[in-house]
Amino acid sequence: MESDTRQIALGLRRGDFGVLEALVEQYQYRLVRYLIYLLGRRDGVDDLVQETWLRVLKRGSSYDGQFRFEPWLFRVARNLAVDAMRKRRMFSLDSNDDDGIRIAPASDEPSPFTLAARTEDAERLARSLQTLEPVFREALVLRFQEDFSLQEISAIVGAPVSTVASRIYRGLATLRPQFKGETA
Amino acid sequence: MNIHDHESFQHMIDESLAGGIAGEREQSLREHLDTCAPCQEYLRASNRAIAGLGGFSFEVDPSLNAMVLASLRRPAPRLNTVQPDHRRWALIGVVAVVLTMGGSFFDLQFGRLIASAFDMQRMQVQQGLLVYWIVPSLCVLLLFPLLPLLSKTGAYREERTL
Repeated sequence: MESDTRQIALGLRRGDFGVLEALVEQYQYRLVRYLIYLLGRRDGVDDLVQETWLRVLKRGSSYDGQFRFEPWLFRVARNLAVDAMRKRRMFSLDSNDDDGIRIAPASDEPSPFTLAARTEDAERLARSLQTLEPVFREALVLRFQEDFSLQEISAIVGAPVSTVASRIYRGLATLRPQFKGETA
Repeated sequence: MNIHDHESFQHMIDESLAGGIAGEREQSLREHLDTCAPCQEYLRASNRAIAGLGGFSFEVDPSLNAMVLASLRRPAPRLNTVQPDHRRWALIGVVAVVLTMGGSFFDLQFGRLIASAFDMQRMQVQQGLLVYWIVPSLCVLLLFPLLPLLSKTGAYREERTL
């Protein structure tokens, strides 16, 4: 794994287009999914993905290859998403929560989770996910879909490990009632 | 068993799902789960919620990759903007050299003339030119090699903030 990350770091430092192309191919879907979970909407996500890769191209030399590439990439995407939210006045500077990331305003359109649900269980979760605070949703996707460790998530979101863990607990607590009192 | 015991074991389940728990606690959790229906139910619902997260499949615009790659190719000329920077520094250097030499030349050629025109001593004119013209030009000339380095340090700081 270390040699992979070194190769990526070297490629990014050189501005090697082949390396970038392979990275785009490999991480595109995961970036899209992460940003949808974070923003709670589909519109604007493609632009953010594009900006993320431009930022990777521009600042790729700051990735030193000592740690996995994915958390670094998701951190870049997150910073851009938070900036975008700030611009859309969804980010409140005097907010009490750590990030100030707020729930997207309700809209008449079906949520991205409803549209993306492919199983009965996912359909049940879709509504809860849409109403869940973005930071909890983000913690859930990073832990259970991206399989990041608590330390990696902590580095991505810029919050202590204990905060990340409690976001996961709260996220699960919101989703769990959908399946309570049923046999599998 | 009282409700606080269940709460404590259910918190352990959360911890275990979020990041794992140490061996001894895991063993005690397993033993508890063997005999506790509410905690079994809690674990089953949690696992189902986690598995349910895998049931989403978000559509990705098939042209997104191509668009991203095209936009990555596009800024390539922008990355070479170091060239104009070099030109700017070179220009500053040339101006500093010209000013320094010009000041000295001015002093030699016109120092006496100016001194007589303004009824001053030649030494006073020389001092004035030295303080207000030649020395500042010389300073720019001497600092000139450091300017690109200072500029790079600023750019590096900006990069670290991502």
